[in-house]
Amino acid sequence: MATDHYQPLQHPEVQQGTALRYVGATVISGLALYGAYYVAMTRPPLAELVETLLVSLLVSLLVQAALYFGLDASRAQIWKSVTLILTVPLFLVTIGMTVWAFSSLYARTMPDPSILSSMAM
Amino acid sequence: MAHETMTADAAVRLWNAEADEHDPISARTYGFWLYLMSDGLIFASLIAAYAVLDNKMSAFGHPMADTLLSASQGFVQTLVLLGAVLALSLGTLGLKTGARGGLALGLAVSAALGTVFVAQGLAGLDAMAAAGNGPTASAYLSCLFVLLFTHGLHLAIGVLWSLVMLVQIFRFGFTQDVVGRLLNLRLYTQFQAAVWVVVYLYVYLFGGAH
Repeated sequence: MATDHYQPLQHPEVQQGTALRYVGATVISGLALYGAYYVAMTRPPLAELVETLLVSLLVSLLVQAALYFGLDASRAQIWKSVTLILTVPLFLVTIGMTVWAFSSLYARTMPDPSILSSMAM
Repeated sequence: MAHETMTADAAVRLWNAEADEHDPISARTYGFWLYLMSDGLIFASLIAAYAVLDNKMSAFGHPMADTLLSASQGFVQTLVLLGAVLALSLGTLGLKTGARGGLALGLAVSAALGTVFVAQGLAGLDAMAAAGNGPTASAYLSCLFVLLFTHGLHLAIGVLWSLVMLVQIFRFGFTQDVVGRLLNLRLYTQFQAAVWVVVYLYVYLFGGAH
């Protein structure tokens, strides 16, 4: 991370960006999301929809990480890359464990809506 | 043979013998990056809560994403947000040459597009509430409103921040503090686009928005 801080405009994080990278990230990310939108509008089977959305999610986020944020193994960026890699499992655990725990709880504790509606009649 | 091995070993540097000089800009952007990671965990918690409440029982007879949200309108919002991020990112390229005009233009366009994104989001939430599907109608709607509003609030703060930086680059110039703030603003805005990708794909498209 060493640099001459008396010349802030020469800092590696200032100099790393390029127009090609930013335009590329925007176009690729936009196309990935448009692909997901297009497939979702055709109302495909659930498995196909999930697969499409996951591919779009991965492409979009990876492209943004590499081209927008400029994350790589360089001396200037490596600790940001490491921090993201260590935080992503926390995202997955937070969402995955919560959904798993509550879906299991829901199945065992919540009444079936169809039974409730038949009781109301 | 032994001599060759020693020579090869001597060429390998396993660590930097001298301490790095203090680098305030890198320290600031790394600290801000840590904040963004914790901000991401807030969104992860909101998305987890949304996933738990995304069922008819929690909707309490009220409509859900498939009837409340428009995928095409969401995609327009996506393009607007990506445009805001692109404008700001391209604007910060002006830092490389010290071009204030390009940077100011990027900040202004980004702030304008960010305002459009927030206005679109608020209009959508307002229409839902006016139709009787406000945040107090059901647990599902509470979570949907909080998730979308939290992201919109982040964007609104980004717009405000852009306007403040627009003033600062002309008032203070490209000082170390101003450059550090601009780099953090770029990180912040780009991060909001990454969060929106997750929100759009999961809440809108997986939720079956029409």
